[in-house]
Amino acid sequence: MARQAAVLAAVALFPAAGEAIYFRNNISWRSAIAPSEMVTVDQARAWGDTAIWVDARPDDEFARDHVQGAFSLNEDRWNELLPQFLTAWSPGKKIVVYCSSLSCNASREVARRLRKEAQLSEVFVLEGGWEAWLRKNR
Amino acid sequence: MKTAETLATINYQPSTNSQFIWRILDFVLAGIFIYAGVLKAIDPVQFASDIDNYKILPWPVSVALAFYLPWLEIFCALGLVFRVLYRGALSILMVLIVTFTLATIAARIRGLDITCGCFGHISQHWSLTSHLATNLAILAALLALGISNRLRKPL
Repeated sequence: MARQAAVLAAVALFPAAGEAIYFRNNISWRSAIAPSEMVTVDQARAWGDTAIWVDARPDDEFARDHVQGAFSLNEDRWNELLPQFLTAWSPGKKIVVYCSSLSCNASREVARRLRKEAQLSEVFVLEGGWEAWLRKNR
Repeated sequence: MKTAETLATINYQPSTNSQFIWRILDFVLAGIFIYAGVLKAIDPVQFASDIDNYKILPWPVSVALAFYLPWLEIFCALGLVFRVLYRGALSILMVLIVTFTLATIAARIRGLDITCGCFGHISQHWSLTSHLATNLAILAALLALGISNRLRKPL
């Protein structure tokens, strides 16, 4: 039985390797966010008024400080905050989502939900999050 | 002589029927795993994200599993259909279903509200109860096939 399982496990490696090569540009092995879905602070700032900023951090952190003009949209109050955000959003606007730092997951999750649930396409995650924004704006 | 043949036929008949039923179960389970495997194989990015949501494994491992596990499921399912490497296929599928069930329970205990991604978007809104019930039913069927396999004669 163990030998049979080992054979199956080995055979499955081949199509898996092929698929990994095929999807190499769609997924990053280093970060959960594909490079095409990331944006740096400088790039996002260069978008100017065509970008709309989304703060995915908890309410208390948003209340303390946030990117000027950013909308609070966190997963704790998703159902309440999403309609407010959608009224402010207009087609053609790029969405820049950020959370606390490079290691936080909230911006990734909010970006994913905006794409999946709100069917929005141009959604980007800010590289380095709020910490990166602070560094560039000190 | 004729009486002996008739008796043999009568004795063999229930065995043939039960073999037929077990084969149906093979096909049903194989269908479920092929369906689940194909859904995940065509969208490995989403599946990697689903694995990552369990917050158990580092991201590169989630990516590797997202490419690998769907194919493992598909090959094991084909093993059930064609009865090739049959016991190995059954044991792998049992390990997979137990692992995902335990990971789901652990995630829920840790307060993570996640989608398992097991059956693509269909399972996205399943409750924990439905999820566990489905997994346990599949596990029971796999165990039944494993036990019956020792008693079965080839069709």
